[in-house]
Amino acid sequence: MFMNVFLRELRRMTSRRIYLGAAVVLPLFLIFFMATIFGDGQMRHLPIGIVDGDNTATSRNIVRNIAAVPTFEIAKHYTDDAEARAAVQRREVYGYLSIPSDFEADMVRGNGATLNYYYHYALLAVGGEVMSAFEKALIPVRMAPVVVEAVTLGATEESIETFLLPMTSDDHALYNPSLDYAVYLAVPIFFIMFQILVLLVTLYAVGSERKQGTGTMWLAAADGNILRAVAGKLLPYTLIFICEALLAGVVFFRWEHIPMAGDMGLFALTMVLFIVATQSVAVILYSLFPVLPLVISVVSMVGSLGATLSGLTFPLSAMSPVVQWVARLFPVRHFTEAMQCIVYFGGGFPVCWPQLAVLCLFPVVMLLLLPRLRRILSTNPYDTVE
Amino acid sequence: MIRWNRLPLCLHVAWREFRAIATSYAVLLVLVGGVFAYGVLYNYMYAPNVVREVPVSVVDHSHTALSRQYIRLLDATPHVAVARQVQDMAEAKQLMLQAEVYGILYLPRDFEGRLLRGELSVYPFYAATDAFLYYEAMERANLEVMEAIDAAHRTEQMAFLSAGELAAVATQSPVTVVGTALYNPIEGYGVYLIPSVLMIIIFQTLMMLVAMMTGDEYKHRLLAPYVRLRGSHTHIALSLVCGKSLTYAVLYGIFSFFLVGLLPLLFDIPHGASWGALAVLLVPYIWSTSFLGLALSRWYTDAEAPVLLIAFFSIGLIFLSGVSYPFELLPWYWQVVHYLIPAAPAVLAYVQLSAMDASLHDVWPQLLALWGQVVVYFAWAVSTYKLKVGN
Repeated sequence: MFMNVFLRELRRMTSRRIYLGAAVVLPLFLIFFMATIFGDGQMRHLPIGIVDGDNTATSRNIVRNIAAVPTFEIAKHYTDDAEARAAVQRREVYGYLSIPSDFEADMVRGNGATLNYYYHYALLAVGGEVMSAFEKALIPVRMAPVVVEAVTLGATEESIETFLLPMTSDDHALYNPSLDYAVYLAVPIFFIMFQILVLLVTLYAVGSERKQGTGTMWLAAADGNILRAVAGKLLPYTLIFICEALLAGVVFFRWEHIPMAGDMGLFALTMVLFIVATQSVAVILYSLFPVLPLVISVVSMVGSLGATLSGLTFPLSAMSPVVQWVARLFPVRHFTEAMQCIVYFGGGFPVCWPQLAVLCLFPVVMLLLLPRLRRILSTNPYDTVE
Repeated sequence: MIRWNRLPLCLHVAWREFRAIATSYAVLLVLVGGVFAYGVLYNYMYAPNVVREVPVSVVDHSHTALSRQYIRLLDATPHVAVARQVQDMAEAKQLMLQAEVYGILYLPRDFEGRLLRGELSVYPFYAATDAFLYYEAMERANLEVMEAIDAAHRTEQMAFLSAGELAAVATQSPVTVVGTALYNPIEGYGVYLIPSVLMIIIFQTLMMLVAMMTGDEYKHRLLAPYVRLRGSHTHIALSLVCGKSLTYAVLYGIFSFFLVGLLPLLFDIPHGASWGALAVLLVPYIWSTSFLGLALSRWYTDAEAPVLLIAFFSIGLIFLSGVSYPFELLPWYWQVVHYLIPAAPAVLAYVQLSAMDASLHDVWPQLLALWGQVVVYFAWAVSTYKLKVGN
């Protein structure tokens, strides 16, 4: 009976390419995509430009220092700011350093020399990197005139630097000290894209029954027991998805060496709950709107909202309260919180149980809607709206 | 009703396609929901644009005027809010674990003492990196406060200088370093992301539209009347591809006008591109996307399955386009893929045109890629349809 439905579903799965494609090939492709797309994860050798209007020993020295910064690769020297700006527009460079004429002379005379750098902020992620690399690289240049003069006059470099920056913050970027993009995004984006597949494959598996007019046969295979029918149908996919999520865990945490502060077993449990919760959402949606083409259209768009609503790149707390509230309806939001808690903070069950508990609510809601699904299947075996 | 004469046949196909679109609920839902609701929704969600008042906690073991001044200034920055002052690090870490704060400032016991003795006073600042935007905001706020406090106390610190150092300070001044953000003056996240999202919506919904139409066409054998026509298969296939893409082009001309022409004006996201430049970009973009969709329709056997596959790729396209992670740093094989998918070069070109005031001349590599796709995918689409009417 339960096995009937299970085996029937295995036959359905193998009868069409779409199941193989969406439930096996695409997840594997996704693991490969997320493991490779960021290169080595470090923004290095970003092309930048130099406008050296001064062309003196001092300015050339600054340029040499900039060239040594691993984030940068000096792509080209430009004669003036306008030319450099045009190069940014062509996206040849992501920013440039402009050293004005008379820079050295102003510095020697103590006239308050100025250095300008420009960074590309229409491409915000790259721009942020370029800005912070410039800031760090130019700190010694800022103080250089005073330090050099003081050292010539017999002071030690250390004491004058203490005078200039008596209070110095020692910044620690927790869990991701090198601000590696692969560490930041690979795991969460994998699961955000993965949940789109879980949602759609589940919807398709459930919805194609009535679309093909086999809804009553499905129910009959489970002896009319809707719980058995749904469980037997979803279980093959659940198992496949769990294997894929575990494989992704191995690829990211073992091969790609993304640090995992917490317990792998707890993370595996979180993934299982997440997959089941997401499948439940698909069944809930189909029970509420039992017309496959329409609900697939809606979910295919709602699924990619997961990227925004997970709060991964733009924090949810900065968005409007309505958006924050809506995000709670998506398992991916709770999963992301639990994932960050386990993977980054090394939080154990006592800390992240609320997220896991919420993930368990989705199957409960699904159970409440099963009678409705049963009614739909038995009274109206076909999709009516085309 | 179908006359064998290429131009009318092509227009006939276009009209039939339009009627089919207008009478399918699922397709209309994708168009209305995907294009209009989604376009507005994304703008609404990212309207706050910048993160402000990121909550941090402070462990103040110094309890001095200086530490209080530091905390006050940190709280006063727009980026950071001091949410909690706690007794020790353990408590601060607990708050962080519960995601109540995202950073911890630790001011040690001798924070002010070292300053009064003319010594270097180092204090740690811990910032979470689970959202880079938060990290950057905190790092920036802390740096600003550090520089402000250092500058404020410099005069008092003169007492600790030797004669040589005093002379140096008196005659020399530090170099001023000024960093300027190009193109995104409010430094907004929405300003950066939304133009790309809008272009991807065009690609995504158009691919879905083509998939739904051609999937239904296969399932309900809607090509049968064309198969029975006399005349060469090439001519029929050409008429089908041209007719269908004519309808898509007209519809998406209107939708694109709304998405990348009107919405940016309404929501004040970058709209630097002229209408002419937009048209030059959108024509090959819409065509290459339509032809790619028609070419792939060879494998579409129902309306739902391909939609599912297309939906999956949307987020990946952002990375492939090179707007979030720089194109230069993608591995070579993803750089190749970038040039094969219409959305990737089109997104990049649109960002350059609308947000960076670039001219068409600046985006020629992307335009060339798109026109290359138009030619190749057109040929592929025609061959797909030759196959379909051949059987």
